[in-house]
Amino acid sequence: MSALKTPLQRGIAAWLVFAIVMVVLPHLVGTGVTRSFVFAMYLAIFAISWDVMSGRTGYISFGHPFLIGIGGYTTALLTYHLHWPLYFSIPTAVLMTMIGGTLFFFPALRIRGTYFALVTLAFMELIYGLVQVIAPKVTGGTRGLSGLDSLVTGAIPNYYLALVVLLILGFSMWLLIRTHIGTALSAIGMDEDAVRASGINVTKLKLFTFMLSAFTAGLGGALYVHYLGSIAPRALFDVGFLFQILVACLLGGAGTITGPIAGAFFLTFLLEWLRPYIPGSERFLIYGTFALILYVMQPNGLHELIRLGIKRLGLLAPGRRAS
Amino acid sequence: MTQILVQGLVLSGFYALIAVGFTLIFSVGRVLNLAYGSFLMLGGYIYYQGAQVAGLPKFPSLIIAAIAGAVFGMLVYRILVKRLSGNVVAVEIATLILAVVVQAAVILIFSPSPKSMWPLVPGVLRIGDASVTYNIFIAAVTSWVLLGGLFLFIGTTHMGRAIRAVSMDPKGAVISGIDPEKVNILTWAISGSFGAIAGVFLATYTQLDPNMWVTPLIIAVAVVIVGGIGSILGSLVAAHIIGMLETITTSLIAAELRGVATMLIIIAVLLVAPRGLFGKSEL
Amino acid sequence: MKFSYGKGLKTVLGAVAAIFVFASGGIAIAQDKDPIVVGYIGSFASDTGLSTIRGAEIAIDELNAAGGVLGGRQIKFVKADTREDVVEGVKAYEYLNDVENADFIISGSIDDVSLGWLERMAEYKTPTLDTWTSYVGIIDKVVQEYDKYKMYFMNIACDEALATLYIDFGKDVLSEQMGYKSTVLMYEDTAFGVSIAGLVRDLLAPEAGISIADEIIYDANTVDFAPLFNNAADSGADFIYLVSSVRSQVPASQYVKLQVPIPMTGVNVAAFGQDFWNDTGGLGGGTSTLSPVPAVGMALDDRTQAFIDKYKERYGDERPIYPHFNGFNAYYGIYTVFDAAEQAGGFEPLDDWVKAMEDGDLKLEKDGELWFRYAFWKPGEIEPRTNREYTHNIKFDLTEPFDDGSPAMVVVQWYEDGNVAVIYPEKFANGTFREPSWIQ
Repeated sequence: MSALKTPLQRGIAAWLVFAIVMVVLPHLVGTGVTRSFVFAMYLAIFAISWDVMSGRTGYISFGHPFLIGIGGYTTALLTYHLHWPLYFSIPTAVLMTMIGGTLFFFPALRIRGTYFALVTLAFMELIYGLVQVIAPKVTGGTRGLSGLDSLVTGAIPNYYLALVVLLILGFSMWLLIRTHIGTALSAIGMDEDAVRASGINVTKLKLFTFMLSAFTAGLGGALYVHYLGSIAPRALFDVGFLFQILVACLLGGAGTITGPIAGAFFLTFLLEWLRPYIPGSERFLIYGTFALILYVMQPNGLHELIRLGIKRLGLLAPGRRAS
Repeated sequence: MTQILVQGLVLSGFYALIAVGFTLIFSVGRVLNLAYGSFLMLGGYIYYQGAQVAGLPKFPSLIIAAIAGAVFGMLVYRILVKRLSGNVVAVEIATLILAVVVQAAVILIFSPSPKSMWPLVPGVLRIGDASVTYNIFIAAVTSWVLLGGLFLFIGTTHMGRAIRAVSMDPKGAVISGIDPEKVNILTWAISGSFGAIAGVFLATYTQLDPNMWVTPLIIAVAVVIVGGIGSILGSLVAAHIIGMLETITTSLIAAELRGVATMLIIIAVLLVAPRGLFGKSEL
Repeated sequence: MKFSYGKGLKTVLGAVAAIFVFASGGIAIAQDKDPIVVGYIGSFASDTGLSTIRGAEIAIDELNAAGGVLGGRQIKFVKADTREDVVEGVKAYEYLNDVENADFIISGSIDDVSLGWLERMAEYKTPTLDTWTSYVGIIDKVVQEYDKYKMYFMNIACDEALATLYIDFGKDVLSEQMGYKSTVLMYEDTAFGVSIAGLVRDLLAPEAGISIADEIIYDANTVDFAPLFNNAADSGADFIYLVSSVRSQVPASQYVKLQVPIPMTGVNVAAFGQDFWNDTGGLGGGTSTLSPVPAVGMALDDRTQAFIDKYKERYGDERPIYPHFNGFNAYYGIYTVFDAAEQAGGFEPLDDWVKAMEDGDLKLEKDGELWFRYAFWKPGEIEPRTNREYTHNIKFDLTEPFDDGSPAMVVVQWYEDGNVAVIYPEKFANGTFREPSWIQ
């Protein structure tokens, strides 16, 4: 431990430990837990995507399911109707999502904060309405499509697929926010005009992060629907789904990448652990109330709680210095 | 033609009633109360419990619902919003979580099955060749009365002027001796009771169900966006634009595009005039 | 399977545990045989979800009280909530298999939720019986990819069969008896609404000789039906054909509140349950709807009546006060599933159980006539009227005198005094089609 002097080194070490634990895990737990982890990891990927766009910049997205849904529907339609192989349809889906991401980018040139959140929400509601009305024969309408091809089958292969994607995306985004780009994004969140005045091309930077976020959402969304094997408007363009992503990010700690991952794991398992004891709707009441209390007590999330905890430990153990 | 005009007007008045409580909080506190739909739902369920289960007369049940709405509004402010004050995003997220929690609680207590309710005032009103139910007509009239009352209250009373001062410039208001705490509590109470009353009308007009908080929230958000922050008059005009647009879309173009039209107008207004058509910085 | 290491570890742990048990006196060895686990997937709180749960519970309690199944084993009933959410449905299906090790799953899921977990079913190969969705698209999957989906059975006539029989109602009652010539088609913009409207447009109208004066598609979240009803009344049509599955009490009660001057019939999902009357606050009169069987207001045979008596005794005033059709189908479904399991010696091997299910036949008679029948279409079997296969859908009958299966549907009407009666087909009818009193 003493070799790890800088926060960066300690962080990388933590990622390594996380990776090793996650690789070994499926051999220690039952299939049920493994399956829950797959869902937790997909939620984490979506949370990362949200965090990149909104965690630091103040451009709060209430329409992330819109982006995820574009990715999901693109690959679903291409494979289901045109029988494209997944190796072509998934990259196409990612590309389409990035094009969809520009729909978020243009409003972001003019408006921010609450207004931006509402435009993105309107996008989600709009596409929810349209998917059901326009060409229901192609999209499957309200019922959606079932029997989509899968990339790999079974709990364990899907676990490792999701893990690889999560680790690569999570780690690289985590590194990214440690560069001057991350600092600039935080600065945008505080005072965009000042950042612009300091000579940084804010528009370019925003476009870059929006595209990165859309890339993550598109890839995650495409893999997710092939894991589910089905797609339906209510599963994607839904306030409930948005709610899970938001709560995972904010409960975990927005703007930190690792926080949202922790949040996603925490939420998924909270619900699954409650299931055998409280199978009915009380489960969601408890889960919601718990999330609300935690969030109101600490709006900076689990990440902050853990950081404070470590800091306190650091104070108790004089050998280590708190960051 | 009369039909569209009458129905559009009545629906617009009803939408104004739904939106006004939401506008008020947005104007004074600059926060979106995403739990606003829960005020309506709560109002509807309490009225149902009073008038249809316990068998109380309709008017006292409505008053009970309004009082309960005011209390709930104050509690939300005290317990959630005040704690997170200064962090607009945190308030929005916390109220959104609250809305979902309230929904879960309602499912648990009242079951997720929808319930229809007796109209507050039964019967059909015929104006020329147009017909509207008394129920929604009364809702529109209530809306005009409440909005007029609110307008007078803000324009003429001491407390009303304090609300206006806070909505213009919170810091300046404090300097001039206004207690912003009092103003906030009052606006949340008014918002809660207006929401609950709107909820009773919404529920008697459509039905009670645990998802009923979403539609009024979207209507309120649309009205605020189109009307702009801080303008009760703007909200009134915006409610009429949206209400008429919906009625015209439903009767003349295609009924299934009702929601789509509203979403398109939100996006258009936000892009063209982000502050809304009548946005200004005061009430 | 693939998880050799995990399995190995579990085996070792199991062995260790076994040694402990032996060491402590071998008490556990003399215990009863393992229970059979029946899983329920669906909503916990909705009327339809509760109907399936209660129907299954009553049947399971009866079987357990009669000494259990498969050589005296008790049935353990475990439930997983979907909240009618697609992804929650997938998680719930995984939970029932991975954590509860369900031998058989009974479902009270709606269309998209069933489609959501269907791929998991094919992966786990768990015998599954659906009691609520009637989506023919799922049956099509069984027909086309029998090997993949053969463990799936649907205990309600699929929507296509419902619609086919319903056309006869249009011909016999709406056209010939009532003399209606034109209709205005009013339907919600959901997949359900669009597909039923398509059937009415393509089949009901031409075959029954009823023309479509106008079509009104409405948004499923519509608050105010006044403009729609006005347009409908202005269209000059003889009656309104309403298709509503979402918030269906709203058009039904606004129809009464507005005293719309022309009659209305069609599909109104809310009117399937006995709670409809209270839910509309008594403003549900005049509504008539097709309904899957056994419907509210339908006369019952003795065995089904005994089930209802038991249901009422057990649940009293708790809603739903009378089971929806899927409650009956869950009750009999449990019996057919375990009859097949007894025949096949259990749920494994799967093919034996599937074969026994296909051969199973439960007939219920009333006054010497076939009343209900719980059997399934076999692979390759052709339904004579629609001339197609309905593999693993409940065996329905589309033609009088309904001696080959339950009718695919009946039409029920709620009268203004709060009574409900079956008005079609004639064999099951105990009432007639009536126009609301405010229509001159």
